[in-house]
Amino acid sequence: MSDIVYPPSIPTDAYRKPSDKFRTRSGFFLGFTIILVLVGAVLGFNPFMLIYEFHNVQDLADRALPPNFELLATQRSAYASLAETVSMAFLGTLFGGAFALVLAFLAAKNTTPSKALSSVIKNLFALERALPSFAVMLMFQIAVGVGPFSATIALTIGSIGMFGKLFSEAIESVDPKPIDAIATVGATRSQTVRYGVIPAVLPSIVSNWFYAFDVNVRSAIALGAYGGGGIGFQLVLAQKTLRHDDLLAWVFFILILIASLERVSDFLRSRIIKKGALK
Amino acid sequence: MLRVQDLCKTLPNGRKLLNGISFSVEKGEFVGLLGPSGAGKSLTLRCVLGLTSATSGSVDFESPDGNTHSICDLRQNQLRRVRCHIGVIFQGLNLVQQLTVLENVMIGKLGCIHPLRSWLYGFTDREAREAFEALKEVNMESFAERRAYSLSGGEMQRVAIARATFQKPSFYLADEPVSNLDPKNAKAIMKILAQLAKKTSVLGVFHQPDLIAKYCTRVIAIKGGEVVYNGDPKISPRKLADIYGDELQELEISQQNGQELKQMVPATG
Amino acid sequence: MSVLSEYSPKRYLKVSLFLTVMAIAVYFAMKACRVDLASMFESLFTNGDVYLRFIDLDWSTLWHMVKAAAVTVLLAALATPLAACLSIIVAIAGARNISKPWFRLPARISLGLERALPDTVVLFVFIAAFGLGVFPAVFALALGSLGMLGKLWADGIEEVDDKSLEAIRANGGSLWQSIRYGIIPQVMPAIISNSIFRFEVNVRAATVLGGLAGVGIGYELSRAYSLLEYGRMGMAILVIVVVVHLCERFSGFARGKLLISGGLE
Repeated sequence: MSDIVYPPSIPTDAYRKPSDKFRTRSGFFLGFTIILVLVGAVLGFNPFMLIYEFHNVQDLADRALPPNFELLATQRSAYASLAETVSMAFLGTLFGGAFALVLAFLAAKNTTPSKALSSVIKNLFALERALPSFAVMLMFQIAVGVGPFSATIALTIGSIGMFGKLFSEAIESVDPKPIDAIATVGATRSQTVRYGVIPAVLPSIVSNWFYAFDVNVRSAIALGAYGGGGIGFQLVLAQKTLRHDDLLAWVFFILILIASLERVSDFLRSRIIKKGALK
Repeated sequence: MLRVQDLCKTLPNGRKLLNGISFSVEKGEFVGLLGPSGAGKSLTLRCVLGLTSATSGSVDFESPDGNTHSICDLRQNQLRRVRCHIGVIFQGLNLVQQLTVLENVMIGKLGCIHPLRSWLYGFTDREAREAFEALKEVNMESFAERRAYSLSGGEMQRVAIARATFQKPSFYLADEPVSNLDPKNAKAIMKILAQLAKKTSVLGVFHQPDLIAKYCTRVIAIKGGEVVYNGDPKISPRKLADIYGDELQELEISQQNGQELKQMVPATG
Repeated sequence: MSVLSEYSPKRYLKVSLFLTVMAIAVYFAMKACRVDLASMFESLFTNGDVYLRFIDLDWSTLWHMVKAAAVTVLLAALATPLAACLSIIVAIAGARNISKPWFRLPARISLGLERALPDTVVLFVFIAAFGLGVFPAVFALALGSLGMLGKLWADGIEEVDDKSLEAIRANGGSLWQSIRYGIIPQVMPAIISNSIFRFEVNVRAATVLGGLAGVGIGYELSRAYSLLEYGRMGMAILVIVVVVHLCERFSGFARGKLLISGGLE
């Protein structure tokens, strides 16, 4: 055992006793729980209400079941709402994503023509992400009125902020070595981008684009509730008129919608990626 | 203390991995297990521990209180109690990387600690002190507060040994505990194991025949799922060549045997 | 994969087909949303004076807005730990390497369900049952986070190094002990990091959901809008932007520190 030589380091008695660790750990947990309880008290939130006010849930179940699936037939606006929500998400993702992509190339450190421009755009992205999209929508409603158009605009602008960051990060994380190689053969900046950056970054951009669509569908529903039309509006309507069987029906429709959109997205995404980089 | 009888392990497709392994290990013995790769050495250890279930055969382990347990028939809870008495040192070391060295050592005794106490309180100061002593014996006490991911292979190995000794078991199982170490550290570890074997028993898988020859009290060779040798640790070079076949080239053999062996290989290879 | 030369007619056909389909889809989508860009730009000009009113912020409402923003942040601060605790439990139940099959399926299904439902929908169900207020908002936030966090952690648990778990069991540890000493130390840093990130996301979500439930700064904003008090609305927007930005900074900072210090305990 004396064959091995050890570097002299800390004194041999140095270890933290488990009881000390336990004290710090439980102190931390206790403090954390107390803070949570205080926060709950300040907000007036009492989780136990879930238990003793549970009769509300039962009442709701009485009112809401069976769900009124027939509203697809009886309410003319139902299909229009579905179309509105999906369309606004589609348009918002398409155009917002396109703008975001262009801006992302200008913002990414390795493809931007100017450092100053890059930081300006990045800050714009951050600013946009801090703005809640319903606020943007409300502001546009002053000009274009209530309805899906305002929501579409808001979704487009929102997508620019959200995906600007994602895309620019994807571009920045591209392997620099092939790009250097292309630059050394005398290619211009745009040629380098086209042959070096774009093929490398395309899969993740496509992936993110589909993810963006999914996120935007959910946002579209939320925006609809603020006056943006579509499914969100139907939810608010059902809630305000206390037609809870309609509400539950919409919940199911939404579930089906999102699940099928997810399937379609996955399918399309794998088709596109399988075919390799387009163009 | 450990009696393995007719251990068999057959795969669903009919291939026999272990074919009637039988041997025993008594108190005070330091038994080395060797054989070519794929022979079934690690598998035997796993069956002894109950980590893998054998197709047939029995493993009888005598715990310090005198009871004999048939490991193959035990259920989880009872198995756990028996494992309290067996200290295990894995080849892959299997330390929890994010925990400190001291905590990794203390894990060795989890079999004797009630799970509720583990969750609510953790380890006691006394356990920490004893674990520290165990670390001292492998000269790792200055690493007590370091996290396991910052250690080198040899250091991790010694922590794994401390984890086993901390348990104060009556039996040690080691799966290639020195394969990752340089010769100096390997010899040191073998010395520790030999020392431990005097009061308890040690069954270890090794790939270094000369280490086995020097430190073990007995050797068992496994080839193709069967025991082909069970006896004196100083195996003759011819017998070694027989056991290992082509793999002889890959073994780390000390100089003095090496010459003879290298000369023999063309004849047997 | 057959290599089509870059400019073969087949390729052009494929691309133009794709573009045509897209163009048609865009056309119909725009019809459905009643998109009218021309009149939008025109309207923006004619309503220019209204937009100028936004710049004239109503500073007298600052304190009121800050209080509302505090409520919103607290909503997120309450909902995120709630969701984190619940999702740890669900994740442990749903992980392949420690749980029996009949626990796994319901856990995974409920996680999948959680993720499919947008939090707005959950909010409305809760509002329908319990009315407006803090209560449905917190629950909707928590449930919304549960799905994402739970899945992340179930995956993380499955990726844990099995060998160390085995070593713990071999030394005599029980299943629960292998969870406590084997799994938790390995996933804890990821759990905390993700929770902090989720908190930041939840602050944004709390603005929206709170607004629908009648609490917090989201509500102040929409209320100011409906009262046509654009100065107030502008103030609310400003406060939101500042608060969200601060939370983002905090989140990045906390997670960075976590990486360096290497996790708690």
